[in-house]
Formats: sequence, C-alpha cells, structure tokens
Amino acid sequence: MQTSEQVPVTVLTGFLGAGKTTLLNRILTEQHGRKYAVIVNEFGEQGIDNDLVVDADEEVFEMNNGCICCTVRGDLIRILGGLMKRADQLDAIIVETTGLADPAPVAQTFFVDQDVADRTKLDAIVTVADAVHLNSQLGEHHEAEEQIAFADVVLMNKVDLVDEVGLENVKSRIRKINPYAKIIKTTKCAAPLDEILGLNAFSLDRVLEVEPDFLDSDHDHEHDDDVTSISFVSEKPLNMDKFQSWFGDLLQTHGQDILRSKGILNFANKDERYVFQGVHMLMDASPMGPWPKNDNKNSRVVFIGRNLDKMGLKEGFEGCI
Amino acid sequence: MNLGLKDNQGSSKTKLEERGTEYNLKAPVTGAVTINNFIVVSFGDGKVRFFSQNNEPFVVQAHKGVILSLAGIEDSVLTGGEDGRFLKISDNGNIKEIANFGTQWIDAVASYKMNYACSSGRKAYLWTEDKETALTLDNPSTVGGLSFDETGNRLAVSSYGGVTVWEKGNRRWKSSRFVWKGSHGKVTFSPDGKYLISAMQENEIHGWRIRDKTDLTMSGYPSKVKSLTWVGSTPYLVTSGANEAICWPFDGKGPLGRKPICVANGGNQNATFVQALPDENAVFIGFHDGSVLLSEIDETKKSYPIRSQTGYEVSVISISSDKKYILIGDIKGNVLCSPLWAGEL
Repeated sequence: MQTSEQVPVTVLTGFLGAGKTTLLNRILTEQHGRKYAVIVNEFGEQGIDNDLVVDADEEVFEMNNGCICCTVRGDLIRILGGLMKRADQLDAIIVETTGLADPAPVAQTFFVDQDVADRTKLDAIVTVADAVHLNSQLGEHHEAEEQIAFADVVLMNKVDLVDEVGLENVKSRIRKINPYAKIIKTTKCAAPLDEILGLNAFSLDRVLEVEPDFLDSDHDHEHDDDVTSISFVSEKPLNMDKFQSWFGDLLQTHGQDILRSKGILNFANKDERYVFQGVHMLMDASPMGPWPKNDNKNSRVVFIGRNLDKMGLKEGFEGCI
Repeated sequence: MNLGLKDNQGSSKTKLEERGTEYNLKAPVTGAVTINNFIVVSFGDGKVRFFSQNNEPFVVQAHKGVILSLAGIEDSVLTGGEDGRFLKISDNGNIKEIANFGTQWIDAVASYKMNYACSSGRKAYLWTEDKETALTLDNPSTVGGLSFDETGNRLAVSSYGGVTVWEKGNRRWKSSRFVWKGSHGKVTFSPDGKYLISAMQENEIHGWRIRDKTDLTMSGYPSKVKSLTWVGSTPYLVTSGANEAICWPFDGKGPLGRKPICVANGGNQNATFVQALPDENAVFIGFHDGSVLLSEIDETKKSYPIRSQTGYEVSVISISSDKKYILIGDIKGNVLCSPLWAGEL
C-alpha cells in the first residue's frame, strides 16, 4: 500500500473496575511526546487525560457475507476511517472496550474491512484482569472468559491484595484458557509499557516467536461452556491438501466455538514454514520463510474455544499427516 | 467533447496537468462542493479552501481536526467536523456556528436549497426554511449517510439494517423504512426520485424502487463502493469499487436483470472516486494510485488520461458549476486545479 505505514491499534479489555482506565492514563502520561488517539466507550469509568478522545458506542454489525459469527464494530470502521484523514500522523490508537464487551468483533474488524486493514493494524489485545475477582467473574460471565481467551497480554492487576497461593490459582486459570498470552503481575497497572504497546502480536511472524505454555489438556470437572485450549504437535510433515480441507471445514462448522487458533505448519514437499492465525471463522495464513537451522520442524497448532473436545480435533489433525 | 487530449500519448504529464496548477496542501482532501463559481474543498486539518479559476485559493480555518462532511447551500458551505461543530461558511469567509455536539463527530451533512441536515451518532437533525430549530430524527444505529432528493421534500438517512426516508407531509415529516440486512453508508436518490440507492459495508450497493420497495442488489465488487454519481440523461449510476467504473442503467425498467456497462479500466487497482461530467454521458474516474481517467459511458470508446499517478488514492473530483475547470484531490493533500477545456488559459 502506498500510504505511510499502518498505525498500530491496541485494544484494552477487562471487566469494570479491573483497572483499564488506570492503565490508559498511565500510557498517556508516561509516553509523553507521542501522539495517541483514544477511542473510549460511552460508559467510561472516569476521565481520560488526552487531547484526542473519541466516544464510541460499540455498535456491533453482522456482516452479510454468509459467515454467521462474522461480526464487526461498525463504529470502529467509521472512527478509524475518520482518524486516518487527520493531517498529523498518530503514533498509535488505543481502543477501550466496555467491561462486558466481546473482543471478537473488534479483532474481526481488522480482518474484514479493507480500508481499516490498509491504514491500521491490530497491535495486541491487552486484558486487564482483577486478581481478586477474576475467578468468580470467570464463573459468572462468559465475556470474562472471552476477554482472557482473546488476550495477547493479560495484566493480572491488584496482586498486592491476593496471597501467593491465590495468585498461582488465578494464573493457572488464565493459562488453562489461554496458553499463549503473556501474563504480567501488576499493582495499579504498573507494567513496563513496552510490554503492552508495540507488540505486533497479530502479525503472523509473531506466531513463530511466542511459544505457548503447553499444558496437559485434561478436561476434568469443567463445565461445557468453559473456554479452554488444546494444542497438538506433529513430528511428521502434514499433507497440505488434507490440512486445508480439514481446517476449512472445521472453521466453517465450529468457527463460532473456536475463539482463536494459531499454528506453525510443516507441509510435506514444502521448504518453507506456514503460519496461520484465526479469530472465529476468519483466518490469516502465509508462508514465512525457511525453517531455522536446528529446528525440529514440528508442526504445532493451538485452539482456544468452547466445546473443543467435541470437534474431533485430535483425529482431524492426525488425519492430515 | 473537445478537451484537447488526443495527442497526449507518451507524455509523462497529461494535458490537464500541463495547463493546471498543482498544490500540496499537507492534509488529506476530505470533500469538495461547488457554490457559485467556486470549488470549495475541505481538508483533514480543519481548513476549507475556496478555489476559483484565475485566482489563488483563499483559506478559512474552520474546524479543529478533520472536516468529515461538506455540502453546499446557496452562497455558503456547510461543514461538519471531528470537533463536533456544524458550521456555515460563506464565500467571503464568514463562519457561523449552527450547532455544536461537543465530543460527538458530525459524520454527514446534506442540503437542498434552504433545507439542510447533519448527523451525529444515531441522530439526524433537519433544518427547514420555515423553522428556526432543528427537527431531531432518531435512528436505530449510527447514521451512515444523508441525502435529499431533487425536490428537497424527502431526506434519506442510512444506518445499519436499512435506510429511513423522511418525507414532508402537510403537518410534519413522516418516515418510511427501507430494510436490507447489513450496514448502509452513502445514500442517494435517482434524479427522477424513483429509486433509492445505498453503498454498503459489504462490497455491494443496494437499491430500492421506492414505489413498491422492490430490492435491487448490485454486487460483485472486489472492494467497498465509496463513491457514486449519476451520469447523463439515461441516467447511469456510476460507482467506484472495481478496477473500472461500473455503470448501472436506470432508464426504462431500471437495472433489474440488466448488466452494467464497464468503462475506464485502471488495470490492477480499484477506482476510489467517480464524478459525472455534468450534462454529458461521461464520467471522471479516480483510482487508488492517484490517476484519473475520463470516459464516455460506452464500452467501445477509449478513455482519456486526465491526471497521472501520484501514489495516493483519489479522494475528490469536482467540476465547477460553469464546467470551466476541474479539481482533483487525494488523501495526501495533493490538489490539481486545471482548466477543463483546451485553449482557455
């Protein structure tokens, strides 16, 4: 694209009272000299100290493209389009969502709208979690699970109010939902900002760098609606046609339940690595250059979602060998 | 048509570029309208510039931040901005604030003679000649576009899920909803008032025959349709969004079951702006790389280069009311203002 580079967009999610606004104001005051636009929701918790604050109303649109779970944030398309008409270049855009927001439509907006994709890029989804209340929130609100599931970074905030055992408990709960996210323990959201901004977490080459915490995927005592993750490794190369057919069908039939998917693939008779990442039914994939020397060339895939054990994922994946 | 374009082949500059003036105005061009003999252009830095044929443009600093919407009204323009201000700016540079919506953007404005409207969030506001205060028109979701018909008695307001048409009755404005799933943006009435057309978030445009609300779906575009213009006496609805101008015929029974005419191929890139040459069966087509072609709505005729590529998407093409000059603007703030016809410098 001919225009100057894409402006990074960081999405801040988290339940009411977790500390989103505290984090936002820290970013705005500590990164002085940089120009940010902040898109806030109409039910914002408190004042934001920035020149360029835009009110959004979280209008979620269904795309009329035959993809049932393909929803986008109509207001974001409008606002990002408007911001791109500014004379001055923005360093970054921060989108704050309401506590009960589902992050999927925000992420999908960057996959679906060409103008948004040309001019901006989703940098990372940062979820602020209240270490005191997260466990109970996860049980009560599916949105809390989704916010953890979609996160590239989870700020485990208010750790000063929870003992060590409690913290480990919360951390393993987060890990179970999302083995990919980076977890940062904070008090008053005091995390180094370079671990929150400029992460490029949605670029495909980042999939190569961030190794998930592979957990044993036992599903004991979990409720059906719980968000979990599951990962597979194959030492044998995959058959490209079989993989495409299985994965395409999988997203078509179970895309609503698969919140995020990521993978690095070794296809038979291909020298290059293939990398993909998806949000529900939408997926971005590309060859990413040769395998590094000494790499065992294992294919790795991770799924985060609901009802994963009912999708025949293991058999499906193994059927691609 | 004699635009003196025939011997242009092989030259790096087009004839219009050779005889015109180029400016770099440092902020994206966001809109253009004609009033009297001015072409009035809005920019991403809140400035409005009044261009005329033989004078340097004069500038008015109108808004703080981007001017998002623009319409002409008699000797003035109406502008809506990121700063929440809805302004009327006369051709001598006077600014009058009509309304202020604070932190809410003004996304769309429209006008017809003395009637005018703007939208902010889910509400549209309509001012009519006989009333001091605006009528507030509520919508189910954020307004995507506004347009009056050729009589000024109907106002179309698009949003998610369809378009609402407000029509002036004896006592009050009455609404009628035209439903179609999806998000609707720019909206326009056909010149004869029989059709209502909207550009959608999906890569298609949707239309309704107003009489019976029959749906017309015009799809198959490779990208979003950002620009629509009515051309000639047929008329054709000419649209951007494909690598050539897609021209839907609206004579007789309309475009139902008919194929569009496709003119002015831009190669491996999509059109971003289209503008009729008034009173002719011809259209200017601006592309993603900044180039502009002129073509008759006739697939057997070749198109003429009007502007060569700049590397930046064409965001505006405007023809002065006297049809003597043309203005082309892009998203980088490059503006070409040029006499349209040969031998008139």
